[in-house]
Amino acid sequence: MKVKIISIPVHDQEKALQFYTEKLDFVKKVDIPLSEDSRWLTMVSKEEQDGPEILLEPSPNHFEPAKIYQKALFDAGIPYTQFNSDNVQQEYERLVSHGVEFSVKPTEMGTVKIAVFNDTCGNNIQIVEML
Amino acid sequence: MQTIAAILTGNAQTQNMSYYLKEITRIKHICYSNKGQLDTVIGTRHFIKNNFDKELNLKFLSHSRFTSKFHLLRLFKRYYGQTPKQYITDLRIEQAKKLLKKGKAVTETCFHIGFDSPSSFSTLFKSRVGVTPTEFQKRATFTKPG
Repeated sequence: MKVKIISIPVHDQEKALQFYTEKLDFVKKVDIPLSEDSRWLTMVSKEEQDGPEILLEPSPNHFEPAKIYQKALFDAGIPYTQFNSDNVQQEYERLVSHGVEFSVKPTEMGTVKIAVFNDTCGNNIQIVEML
Repeated sequence: MQTIAAILTGNAQTQNMSYYLKEITRIKHICYSNKGQLDTVIGTRHFIKNNFDKELNLKFLSHSRFTSKFHLLRLFKRYYGQTPKQYITDLRIEQAKKLLKKGKAVTETCFHIGFDSPSSFSTLFKSRVGVTPTEFQKRATFTKPG
């Protein structure tokens, strides 16, 4: 078995597509229409385009428990997904200049530095730099 | 001794923290309060990262951090979750992938990243990446954009 896709639940796929490509600089990889209001939509990191894909899936709109779970995580400030960065401070400054909101500013946690931002689609996302 | 105002301010700050922030603050206090150990492992990791293509061994790494090799091994594993050797191998394989994608020959790549034997390099590469270096290079060339 191989790890190829990691799902991120989003409220609005189009809005998520814009956020992940325009603010985070990810690249759209696969976009297949599935029904009137949902697509199979995946992104990859620009720096690692043959790496794992993230699937922006509209589960909170179709499955109530997913919506409740996502909201509970968000309200508790918990990031369920994390991305690696070579420099969290620089990434933080770049994203803040693009209007991204952070609930945790760059903070050293032992052997890593972390920061947490709001992806505007219902999720807290953590960025991590290994120190 | 803390003043009452400082305690009250501290409590107010804690109350305003999200569940996640409270948890990472708690965990940081439990796991990462020994600054001396942190400096040792972080320094070791940086040294490995900058010298992974050279011959590295625990004895040398531990001498440079003024500690015993067993203590350094334990510390590194505790803080990074893998041994220095596993970490070095990860770095070498990542570098090998970059060089192979750029078109460097397999044997040249092998020596460039600090391996002595092309056959042991190929075996390790296949076990980590799933294909041999030659196959990896072929696929990378075939799927190269543009």
